[in-house]
Amino acid sequence: MNAVTQTNVVTQTPLVTEARRGFAPWAGLTVLLTLGVLLAASADRWQGGWAETAAELHNAVLITVPAAAAAGCWQGGRERRRRTEELWATVPRPPLARFLVAALPTALWVAAGYAVAAGLALLATWPYALGDGPRPALVPTDACVSGAAVLAGHAVGRLVPARLTAPLLAMAGYVGLGVTAAAHEGAGRYLNPAFPVMESWVPVWWQPMAMAVWAGGLAGAAVLAYAARRRWTALLPLAAATAAGALLAQTGDGLWHTDPLTRRQVCDTSVAPAVCVNARYAGALPQITDALSGVTGRLKGVRNLPVRWEDRDGGPRDDEAELPSLTPLGWSFVRGRLTDTGEFAREAVGTLVLRGDCPDDRLGARFERADDAVENYLAPLPSRRYFDDLDSQGDARRRAALAGRRAARARLAAMGEQERRDWLSAYFAARAACDPSGVPAL
Amino acid sequence: MTSNGHLLHARSRGLPASLAALAGTTGFAVWAAARLDGFLDPDRRVPVVALAPLLAAAVIGVSLRSPSEELDGTAVRPWWPRRLTQLAGLTALSAALLPLAVLGHPEVFGPPAMIRNTLGCTGVTAAAAVLLGARLSWLPAFGYVSAVYLGSAGAHSGAATVWAWPMQPGTQPGAWAAALGAFTVGGALYAVRGARPEGPRGGG
Repeated sequence: MNAVTQTNVVTQTPLVTEARRGFAPWAGLTVLLTLGVLLAASADRWQGGWAETAAELHNAVLITVPAAAAAGCWQGGRERRRRTEELWATVPRPPLARFLVAALPTALWVAAGYAVAAGLALLATWPYALGDGPRPALVPTDACVSGAAVLAGHAVGRLVPARLTAPLLAMAGYVGLGVTAAAHEGAGRYLNPAFPVMESWVPVWWQPMAMAVWAGGLAGAAVLAYAARRRWTALLPLAAATAAGALLAQTGDGLWHTDPLTRRQVCDTSVAPAVCVNARYAGALPQITDALSGVTGRLKGVRNLPVRWEDRDGGPRDDEAELPSLTPLGWSFVRGRLTDTGEFAREAVGTLVLRGDCPDDRLGARFERADDAVENYLAPLPSRRYFDDLDSQGDARRRAALAGRRAARARLAAMGEQERRDWLSAYFAARAACDPSGVPAL
Repeated sequence: MTSNGHLLHARSRGLPASLAALAGTTGFAVWAAARLDGFLDPDRRVPVVALAPLLAAAVIGVSLRSPSEELDGTAVRPWWPRRLTQLAGLTALSAALLPLAVLGHPEVFGPPAMIRNTLGCTGVTAAAAVLLGARLSWLPAFGYVSAVYLGSAGAHSGAATVWAWPMQPGTQPGAWAAALGAFTVGGALYAVRGARPEGPRGGG
């Protein structure tokens, strides 16, 4: 039994020992916990949207890279702290091997911490996703970049073994990446591994690879320049990094393009106006149609309506109204559900009534009264009574306007079904033409 | 202890280096706040209000080590007054210096927010010094504050005022309670227990 245990000890490489014990697993856990706090705090913003999840994970690189560099730096100062530098120098292994044995486990654990956090975030999005598909394209690169930061930080930690080196390196990382990320011009910002991306952006297929080569090449050059016996070999990764960096900086805006899916929508044409939802949230169509069913029910048989509520990238066409925006997630739309269906319906009525760009000077009291009556009929505002009370305590002009609006609402409500349909048809025709004289009297 | 003894104690804890580092942190904060044009829009100061206290807390946390733990254990006098004086003194100095970078706008991201974050970050770091050792004491506060910095955008109500305390406006009582709580717990823990012994093999 004893002999077997001893054999195990002998055959276990130092790399495995380093990976299983000491600081490396804790570094991975720290990255996982930090990302866990970040992702849990911002869950409303990304959970349920594949593209939002991918963007949130990528933007988190802003904190994982400095944290990874600090972890590497801390590990790099270990031999000095433990006073084992001389002992290491007696080992019959080249300096590069000794460096990698100490540095690689931390890099792998940190990259694994990022990858696990990304996997958990994708799993958390899965039950709530309503269209689109997972987008893990940037995750391997971002994990690699974090690992590369560990290696570069390790070299810094060996060179500058002061107590404050690691926190200072982390702080410099935050400031450096943050300043570059906030820049709005200059080709250099495309070299930033934490380049902030919008959820509607997708990278060209080679961007993740070029970024991995850029960051990995720089870290590799730092490691070889510090630890290799032939230091000129550092020029090879440096050349690869330069080539990848030049490619990234030269391509610039061309690295990212708008997701074609954001220009597509799915529609329910069984109601009028038809209800369309962006293809990214195709699964939300039934609940949105349901939220608007009260409005579409009251509009049954009315002519001259917009063809549809649209939800594409870019504004509505002349014969369309805009669906109230579901994005950014976390406000009206959280984890695949509308937070307030009544409010959503009221906003949809607002875009229906106020569509087009009718100049303000063409909108007279006639339109104002008719708009108010239509909005009140289709989806009354809960705070309407409050505003009416305010007006009723105002001056004579406001009281008169309120009385006019109340009378108009009452007349629209008191109409017969057919009469109201005819009135609404004429109203929407006048609204589309921006013609106050076409608004039938109320 | 004579005044000479106090001086020697301060030197053994690396006080001159810590004071220099705190001065450097203040200089960095003033420079960064000026670069960000924080006097135009106080929201632009958020990175300074979040990061400068973090750096000051790292400096304080690293200075909490003892170079002679075993010898300290043989002392006849209680240690807590000295530990508390060191922590409170350095924290008070940071809390007095760092707000110079963000004068004005006390209701959002001005001096009160800076003082609150200094107290909170130092408290977390002091607690970490007890649990992890002074050398690595900066790590938990760095992880937490940076995660909250990116994660809590727009969270200004309910429980968020407590857990996202580093990112709240200066007048938010929940955030003050969280930061003061962290400082009280961390400070008491450090005063009673002292930083975790390191030794040549300690601290990872």
